[in-house]
Amino acid sequence: MSVSVLKSNGLPSQLRGLRARLYSTRKGEVSSSDPQKDILRRHLYPPNIRNKASPTGTWRPDVARALQRAIPSVQAHETIERAWLLHQRHLRKKRDAELQRKFNCMRQAMQELEEIDSRLFREANKQEDPRARSLAEVEAMKSMSEPEKRAVESRVGGLFPRELRIPTDTPPKNGWPNEWRAFQRPLA
Amino acid sequence: MLALRRVQPWAVGFAQRSATKQVALASTAVDTDGSHSQSSGEPVAPQKHPRAIRTRRPRISLQHPREWNRPLAFGVLPAFDEALKVIKEDSMALKDEVTALEGAIAREKETPQPDQHALRMMEDKLRILEVQSEINFPQVRWKCANGMADMSKAVDRHLLEQRWRKEGALDLLMERIHQMKVVPDVLPDIHPSLDLRVNFPKVKSNAGLQATVSKAVYEHVEPGVFLLPEQTVEPPKIYTTVFHPEERLYTLLMIDPDFPDETNKTFQTYLHWLQPNIPLSSVSPSPVPNLNTHTAYIPPHPQRGTNYHRYTVLLLPQHSRLSIHMVAKDKRTGFDVRAFMEKHGLDKNVGGGVHMWREVWSEGVPAVYKEILKTAEPKFGRMPKADRYGDFRGKKRYV
Repeated sequence: MSVSVLKSNGLPSQLRGLRARLYSTRKGEVSSSDPQKDILRRHLYPPNIRNKASPTGTWRPDVARALQRAIPSVQAHETIERAWLLHQRHLRKKRDAELQRKFNCMRQAMQELEEIDSRLFREANKQEDPRARSLAEVEAMKSMSEPEKRAVESRVGGLFPRELRIPTDTPPKNGWPNEWRAFQRPLA
Repeated sequence: MLALRRVQPWAVGFAQRSATKQVALASTAVDTDGSHSQSSGEPVAPQKHPRAIRTRRPRISLQHPREWNRPLAFGVLPAFDEALKVIKEDSMALKDEVTALEGAIAREKETPQPDQHALRMMEDKLRILEVQSEINFPQVRWKCANGMADMSKAVDRHLLEQRWRKEGALDLLMERIHQMKVVPDVLPDIHPSLDLRVNFPKVKSNAGLQATVSKAVYEHVEPGVFLLPEQTVEPPKIYTTVFHPEERLYTLLMIDPDFPDETNKTFQTYLHWLQPNIPLSSVSPSPVPNLNTHTAYIPPHPQRGTNYHRYTVLLLPQHSRLSIHMVAKDKRTGFDVRAFMEKHGLDKNVGGGVHMWREVWSEGVPAVYKEILKTAEPKFGRMPKADRYGDFRGKKRYV
């Protein structure tokens, strides 16, 4: 076992808990008083009690007892593992099925649209680049202040308008916002 | 990972405990006959520590059966109780699916023109569902891991097959088959579909001129190891673990590809044993009975002076019942395995079983020649070198 000369945090591993076993010190002599003496002693008389895990982890005798405390029954552990994976599989299958159903609905809707109106169908199939800026937008941005520019840039195209009011059963508590004005976003 | 150093017993023992299926070589279907090879047999004395970790596997098998009990009582580990609930619900849902599918299959079969492809798909799905509905139960897995599998159930068959394939037994066999070059020499290739195990009598003592061999105690043979000719005088006990429930016919062949051919100064194949039409299924008896009724077993007799001989046992699947002529004792040499397989339609790609071991001449071989083969024992060696200076021997050199 190679002796590590590099210091880890705090006391070196060889000294941790081995103070009482350093046979090169006399009783009562504190070993941490003179680090030079410590280092010399450690290298002249290396500790030869091999019952801790090796530094690179090739030998770990402490794992068995720790594992036995954590996992009291191997059978129970495997059962729990299988049940958890089974549960995750059910969730995954449900999600996939729901996604598939939505996709099929969308596909059916597009097929019907194609039969009804081909121009709208073509419009619906267009891929919109969210970062694209129309000429009108670019012209308008030249005469805008910084916060206004940021407001224009932050809105990504192709999404539902944020200000769309969700229909409710009862009217709003604060009434209708008559003074509200929408930010004039330059459109294509 | 836990290390392989010679360490405190409790550290070693855990590696064996944590893998309940760590039976790399011995199989769950126990090969009874006296000695039962312990799988993780590292008998270690228990530590002096008050709560030592049990290192030895409990002796549970078909001979010493035990009922499954919950590993933890109710309430000790809530996750475990919850897990059991989830597994039970899933199993019930799958069983409903199984009954629905069986109904669908029955209905499809009753139609005047059943769709064969759809039927096959449904039957495959049925088999998968049957296995999935039971495979998560801890009692089922525990039984299979402890040698008490019920081969009439699809789940147990599946678990045993997975164990044979994934936990090292098949890998070891194939490693030996390929490294010893059995595969190109005897057969072009083989992909076993059943677990074939061979048991020969144990050697009692190697002292003296001839080794003494036990009469009753048969021991499992690891593929590729060296055996003594004294051990192989009697035919072995063949144990199989077959994973198909229906009965199929197999042909047993025992081949020695290293039999010397003096005339051509090369090696030839010798047929030691041939038994066609062996019915095997997952519920057939083990060891396989009535194996010596066709071409009698001739014990291996590696000649003195030759290198080690590889003895291969093959179990090849047949399509239908075969009628093969018995091979006489003196016609065993020059057996062409490939031609035999082609002639009788034995397809190596369908599966089968294979096993091999090695033998070298020992003091037991002359007995085989004298009693069974009744021929003179050959002794092989190098050709004598011509004496270069024969003319000059004895003559005066300096005249």
